[in-house]
Order: sequence, then structure tokens, then C-alpha cells
Amino acid sequence: MQRKHIFIVFIILAIVQIAVPAQMIFNREAVLKSGTAFKFKTEPIDPSDPFKGKYISLNYDLDNFKTKDTIWMRNQEVYISIANDSLGFAKVILASLENPKKGHFVKAKVDSYSEYDSILRFSLPFNEFYMEKTKAYNAELAHRDAQRDSLSDNTFALVYIKNGDAVLDNVFINEIPIATFVEE
Amino acid sequence: MNSKLIKDLPDLVTNDVISQDVASKIEQYYLAKQQQTPNRLFTVFGVLGSLLVGLGIILILAHNWDNFPRGAKTILAFLPLVIGQCFVVFSILKKKSVAWKEASGTFLFFTIGSSIALVSQIYNIPGNLSTYILTWIILSLPLIYLLKSNAVAILNMICITYYACELGYGFGSFGHTPWLYLVMMATIVPHYYRLLKHHKEANITSIFNWLIPISMTIVLGAFVDQLTELGFLMYLLMFSLFYNIGKISFFDQQKLRRNGYLIFGSLGIVIIVLTMSFDGFWYMERFFINTQEMYVSIILFAANLGLLIYSYSKGWLKTFNLFQFVFILFSMVYMFGLNIPIVGTIVVNLTVLALGIMTIKIGIDKFHFGVLNYGLLIITALITCRFFDTNMSFVIRGLLFICIGLGFFLTNYIMLKKQKSRVESLKH
Repeated sequence: MQRKHIFIVFIILAIVQIAVPAQMIFNREAVLKSGTAFKFKTEPIDPSDPFKGKYISLNYDLDNFKTKDTIWMRNQEVYISIANDSLGFAKVILASLENPKKGHFVKAKVDSYSEYDSILRFSLPFNEFYMEKTKAYNAELAHRDAQRDSLSDNTFALVYIKNGDAVLDNVFINEIPIATFVEE
Repeated sequence: MNSKLIKDLPDLVTNDVISQDVASKIEQYYLAKQQQTPNRLFTVFGVLGSLLVGLGIILILAHNWDNFPRGAKTILAFLPLVIGQCFVVFSILKKKSVAWKEASGTFLFFTIGSSIALVSQIYNIPGNLSTYILTWIILSLPLIYLLKSNAVAILNMICITYYACELGYGFGSFGHTPWLYLVMMATIVPHYYRLLKHHKEANITSIFNWLIPISMTIVLGAFVDQLTELGFLMYLLMFSLFYNIGKISFFDQQKLRRNGYLIFGSLGIVIIVLTMSFDGFWYMERFFINTQEMYVSIILFAANLGLLIYSYSKGWLKTFNLFQFVFILFSMVYMFGLNIPIVGTIVVNLTVLALGIMTIKIGIDKFHFGVLNYGLLIITALITCRFFDTNMSFVIRGLLFICIGLGFFLTNYIMLKKQKSRVESLKH
């Protein structure tokens, strides 16, 4: 290959290399801008990722749905339709294998279905929240303390949802962003 | 080694082995050769430097600067990537040396990874490690060919192997087979072929000769789905394939240490066969014909057979070498010996013994002390293994060990004698 051709091919490659992360950003920004915000009650715990850094893993209270359907298979993708309950937190109104197309819904993964009490268990995909290294473990402790001191259910994740895509914006303890809460 | 020769030159001249004229000629030859070789050390340090800086950037970004606003962090995500790209453009346009290309390629490789990672971090994108690494690989693979970069090829190979492990062995990955591993390894093959063709003797080529079998050995287990019993046969067939590749005259003519296929294949065969030689191994319960493992085994078997037939047609199979044919025997034993454990056990034990003797013979024929002792080690290992699952009396065990110990002494002694007499006969 001539130098000119190599150069042209490389420029194309360079554009793709920039486009892939840029695309990731645009998709998320679109959801954050025009999506609807929901609050998900949650519980943080503290693992880590070798490349992306430290994150807190979120255990959502919203992880099951009572349904008579028995079609579920493990690791299957399931659409969870949600709405706000009286306290302003997200609750499940429907679980289906097909895209509901209307209303607010998120994609989740089936964990298990128990025929005994007809409960479908699933995990929500937005369960990683990245924090500065030193803060991640403190976040777990802060949540535990807050749980003890005040009302229960005081930790929630703010998630923007648009057409099934969800972006986790922030995690709050007692209405204060978790990073600020940890610093205090 | 060259410098040792040059250091010896004055000594050779004073002892009248060569004349002063020849000595200066030799010296000039090596000096000229040294000037021709590109600054290899510079390349190595360049790559090492980029590697460290790249890894450093990933670590710094992983710290998560959550005091920075989102916009600033986004710029940080792209900044190293663009800098890396600028370095690569510079080295392409200015026709820089190999060292420049390797170093800038390595740096760009890491910045690609860091930028995807940081974006995932900023937007809390969950995702399994395997998809992340896959994106990274796909975005950096073309660099191998654009820059003709060995460093990027090796880094990609490591990532591809890591990807396959993450998908095949990782937690909750039950039932996933990393088929994409084969596709991605295939994209590196043209680069490897070019190395073999044009840089047969280069050190970097022998690094590839080692890395490829290592990577395949690590990953093959991920292709075992449920029928773990066949996993052993798959590994044996693959090691046998390595051995047969190592016996192709192209590799066989090279120094043994450069021939990763041969060494890896031979060691692999011996270890697998020794494992199979245990009594308990042959009590297998299930055997299904229509499984993924069966198909992988059939493909490996066919590849072995094809290679063997090709070698035969080229006339490379002059002397019988059991290592090259052992896969046929084992496939048969696997097929028919499963329900009769005693047959499997006896056949395997005899095979290990035969392999050991065969290796000793090769060692003696080639006057290679390493190979000779390797053969003796195989037999020692076999006997040691048998101590664990047989009820031989201590006296017999002791006698056997004394015999094998004497064997070590005798064979080495005889060969040393032979070598001496050969040197003597060369003198006269």
C-alpha cells in the first residue's frame, strides 16, 4: 500500500475510533435531555472494575413482579413498564416479552420465575454507578448509616428513560447526591 | 553472541588459528551488519514507554474525577485518543522509523481503550467486560496492518485471548462459546504469515510462534460446552496438531527454542496422556455423538490427518515418530475403550512408555542431551504416577526407581562417550 492510501485508511479508522465513543455519548445525552426521570429505590454495595474504575453496584428494590404468565426463561430480555407510585417512586405495572411501544418502560433481564408464588424476578441493567475510588466504599457505609438514622427507603437512583433506553444520572441519599453526602 | 566472537578474535590470532587479515575481515563484517540492523533497542524502549504511559492514563482516568463537570470529563475522554491519532498520523506522513510506528501504535491502542472506558464511566453505562474488550479490539485491529506493527498485533492477541476467557470461563457465562475468537485470530494470520515469510529468523517471529499456541491452549477449554469428558480428547488433538505443525520442515529446520509449536505440542501430549493414564479416568458415563465437543474434535482430527498426509507427500515422514501418530490411537481408544476401562488404562500406559523411549531415541540420534533427558523424565513421571494408584510393594517401587536412576546415568554417560569419540574422529 502506498503511503497516501495508508493515510486515507487511517483517517477513516481514526474517525470511527472517535465516532464509537461519541455515539455512546449522544445516545445517553438524548435520553438525559428528553427522557422522563424516575426514582428507583435502591441499595448500594461496593465492587470494582479493572478498566473503568471504582463503581458502586446498586441493588434495586424494584426487582420482581407478580404475574400469572409462565413463559419466562433465564437471561431473557424482558420489557418492564413502569409508573410512579403515590410516594413518587417507580413501580412495575406490566412485564412483557414484546416491546410495549407506549408509556414508560425499561429493558431488563429475567433472573428467575417461581411458579409457587408466581413471582418473576428480574435485574435492571443500570446497576453500576461510578464514583471516585475513596468514596465508593464510604457510599455503602453512608447508606447503611442513613438507613439506621432516618426513614427507611431513603436511597434512590435517578434514572432517565426514553423508549426503553435508560441512563442512570445520579444516586441520592436523603435527597442529597451520594458523592456530596459522602463528603459531609 | 557476535560480541563474544569479536572478543575472542585477538585470542584466536595469537594462537595462530586465524590470520590477522581474517580477524579484521570478521570484525568489519559484524560492524557492517550491526549498522544495518535498525535500532532495535530503541523500538523496544519506545513500545515499553508507550505501554506504561497508556496504562497510566487508563489508571488516572479510572480514578473518577467526580468533581469535574460532565463536559470537562468528556473532553478528557477524547484528548488522549486524539493525541494518539496525531502521533500515528505523524509517523505515517513523515515516514518515520519502525520504532516510531510501533510506539505510536501502542499508545493509540491504549487510548482507544481508555476513551471507551471513560465514556462508560461518565454515563454509568453498565456492560460486561467482554463487550467492552470486543469494541476495543475491533477499533484497534486495523492498526496492525496500517502500521505493520508487531506490538499492536501482540496486544490485540492478548486482548482477544482475554475476551475469549471472559466470555467462555467468566462468571455466569455458562453456555457461551467464544466463536468470535476464531474470526479475530484469523485477522491476525496475514500479519503472522508476512512475518514468517520475510522475517523467518527474527526474534519477534519466534515470539509469535510461542504466543499463538499459548493463546489457543488457554482458550480451547472455552469451547467445551457440557461434555467435559471430550475436553481431554480435544486438548490432545490440539497438542498433536501443534506437534505436527512444529514438524513441518519450515519450523523443524529452525532452532528448537524458536519452535514453540513443537515444544508446546510435545509437553502438552505428555501431560494429557499422563493424566489419562490414571485408573479412574476411564470410568466415563456419558458419550453423545451430536455435541459441540464432538464436532470440534472431528475438525481437529481432520486437520491433524490432513497435515500428516501433506507431510507424507512432501517426504517429511522419513523416520517413524510416535508423537505424530498418537492422536489416531487416542481417538480410537476414546471411541471404543470407554466402556472397558482396563483397555483404555493399559493402552495409555504403554503409549506413555513408548513415547518416553521414542524421545530417548530421538535424543540419541540427534546428540541432544536435553531431548534425551526429557525422554527419561517422561518415563520417570509415568512411574511416579503409577505409584499413586497401584499397590506395588515398596521393594519393587524402590527397585524401579533405582533402575530409572541408573538409566539416567548410563544413557548420558554413553552419549557423552559417543560424542567424545565423534570429536576425536573429526580431529583425525
